[in-house]
Amino acid sequence: MAHLTRRSVLRGSLALAAAGTGTLSAPHIAKAAATTATVWFAQGFVQDEDVALRKAVADYEKQSGNKIELSIIPFAPERQKIISALTSGVVPDLFDSNPAEIVQLYGWQDRWVDVSDVVETQRSQFSETALLAAQAYNNVTKKRATYGVPLRAAVVPCHIWKSLVEKAGMKIEDIPKTWDAYFDFFKKVQDNLRKLGERKVYGLGFQVTANGVDPYNLFMAFLVAHGGQDIVTKDGKLHLDDPKVKAAAIKSAAYLGGAYRDGYVPPSAINWNDADDNNAFHAKLMVMDVDGTLSTEVAIKEKHPEWYFNEIVTHGTPGYPNDNAGKPVPAIVGFTNGLIPKGAKNVTVAKEFLKYFIQPKVIGEFVELGLGRWLPVMPALAKSPFWQNPKDPHLKGYIQQGLLDPTRPDYYVFNLAMAEVRSQHVWSMAMIDVAKDGAKPEAAIDKAFKRIQEIFAKYPMA
Amino acid sequence: MMDTASVVEIGRTERGRATLWRFLRGNLKGTEYTWALAFVIPYVAVFVTFVAYPVVYGLWMGSEPSLYRELFADPIYQQTVVNTVLYLALGVNVKMFLALLLSGFFMRPGWWMKTLLLIFVLPWAVPQVSTFISIHWMLNGEWGFLNNVLYTLFHIEGAHWLNDRWTALGAVIVSHIWKWTPFWTLILLAGRMAIPLEIRDTARVDGATGVRGFVHITFPLLANLYLICTLLSTIFLLGDFNTVYFVSGGGPANSTHVLGTLGIRNAFDIAQPRLGVAAVMSALPMVIPLVIVLMRKLRTTEVQL
Repeated sequence: MAHLTRRSVLRGSLALAAAGTGTLSAPHIAKAAATTATVWFAQGFVQDEDVALRKAVADYEKQSGNKIELSIIPFAPERQKIISALTSGVVPDLFDSNPAEIVQLYGWQDRWVDVSDVVETQRSQFSETALLAAQAYNNVTKKRATYGVPLRAAVVPCHIWKSLVEKAGMKIEDIPKTWDAYFDFFKKVQDNLRKLGERKVYGLGFQVTANGVDPYNLFMAFLVAHGGQDIVTKDGKLHLDDPKVKAAAIKSAAYLGGAYRDGYVPPSAINWNDADDNNAFHAKLMVMDVDGTLSTEVAIKEKHPEWYFNEIVTHGTPGYPNDNAGKPVPAIVGFTNGLIPKGAKNVTVAKEFLKYFIQPKVIGEFVELGLGRWLPVMPALAKSPFWQNPKDPHLKGYIQQGLLDPTRPDYYVFNLAMAEVRSQHVWSMAMIDVAKDGAKPEAAIDKAFKRIQEIFAKYPMA
Repeated sequence: MMDTASVVEIGRTERGRATLWRFLRGNLKGTEYTWALAFVIPYVAVFVTFVAYPVVYGLWMGSEPSLYRELFADPIYQQTVVNTVLYLALGVNVKMFLALLLSGFFMRPGWWMKTLLLIFVLPWAVPQVSTFISIHWMLNGEWGFLNNVLYTLFHIEGAHWLNDRWTALGAVIVSHIWKWTPFWTLILLAGRMAIPLEIRDTARVDGATGVRGFVHITFPLLANLYLICTLLSTIFLLGDFNTVYFVSGGGPANSTHVLGTLGIRNAFDIAQPRLGVAAVMSALPMVIPLVIVLMRKLRTTEVQL
């Protein structure tokens, strides 16, 4: 039996200290084989999304012989994990853009590996909007480059309870086609429902809140529809001095805040997070919701097929309202991109996996197995029987709106400052000022514009 | 050749070095010193890795003055400071005062008192995240339990508790008090039980019963414990995240954040980790004096409960 000696205790202590230091300085991936890549991806809203991703990874591993260490992480923790990893410098080889704007946010800081060679393999397949949104301005090189590999997309359609509209004695077919009249229709639905004794059903599910990404998406949809689409142009320049932009912003704040103030939006909307409007819609607290992706419909498909097939109507194309002059409103598309951070240990395998993953057959299957919550990023994939299924009441209109009709990327693609406008909830505060504090829309927008100018001043572009 | 003065000087230096070396070795000799090192090294390694490094890293992340300029100019931060002060002042003091009173109540004899204590401790024993989420839903203006009860029983349309800064902050404070009062009651109850029976009996013979007994006997003997508990609770509460995050979510319109939740918002929602660290670091001028006072109190050698 070995005796405990002074030297052995000392050696043990030093070894323990050295092991501890070694573990901290060398993350697990450093010890992985050369053919292994670590991948993080956000957990899906429905389990099928995760199943689809695991299948794609398993197929790749089988085909390539490489190993993918896949971590599927819930949305919010993954976002925190990504930002922590980028802050500490201990990064995985590949992750999805969560939040979407990190492509531009960290592209500015020169933190991504250029993936134009990956995108090049399928360039002809991607939509123009997807290719644009994969780029970011690099403040170190003073150039734009392709840092993201488009994986999937989403737009903001309208979700409507047909059963509630009919209960109010109205018809889906009667919904007007122009912007303000479209939303006014649901105010009338609420008025009628009140007369029938429905004291807790509201006409409009506007996210007049300062949490999550929904309120920004909502306000931007209104801004574009009211003629403010040039708030930031492709060259990254801000145009708050454009009278059309200002008028559009005022009209948007007035309509959204006014609807809340006038009692057409659930009062709790002022404190909603991104999931709360979905829950409220499912609880039939409101007649309609303006919300990104098909998560509202997909979430209940299995449990309540009668809702999915008969009771809920999705207004993509057709259905989504035109502007007040009757012209179609281009949908703002958000993308999930694959990103390889600088400092990744196995860029080669990460790129190889991405090249495999974005093959039309593979990425198309990945999106479809996720029940169509997300859109594909390649127009050719819209022709698949899944998206064109005549028996499905939601998918065809959704993909038409988000992939085949005119679209545009979000404005932070052109200037990173807009990402901070989004995360700081500048538009939300304008809506809330009108909705809750009784501010005049003009004053609320003046305040918002001042804040936007301050934010843009932080990101001067060459 | 050296003169006498030089030799004396060298001798002094050598003696000085030897004294310093002995001092550094803690007057330990030979194997004693080696054994001491063997036992100390693992603790030092753990301390450096898990205590010193994170603190220094945090200080480094929040070291740029420009961060604080940006932070102090942010109206949300200004509101947050007010919220934090209110949360501490009301949350800690109301909770500790209630705990003090309730600890006296639970000193009563009887099996039913023990049963009641068991029930009373439940809010503290159940997981806090799920209870705070339940409170959040209970307070929902449209379908929450509270407003439904009000409407069903009295036909009153309840307020939208979480839609207003002050009612939302009030809900956060009440939730905190509800959650943590049982814990501090138990601590103070233990303190009361440690007061020797003879002292209480003697006081009773002298006529110090009821309020007089509390004012002149119980509270003076509990004062030190009460102060330490209050300081500890204040330090815990300064770093609190769960209550605000799950009850009010920092809303409406970011108006009920405290420093802990604002730090997380800045770090991860806005993706500015340094600004998040700066928000939390800005509490240091309050935390450090509290820790110093607490340490001093804990070092008190007087016989006090």
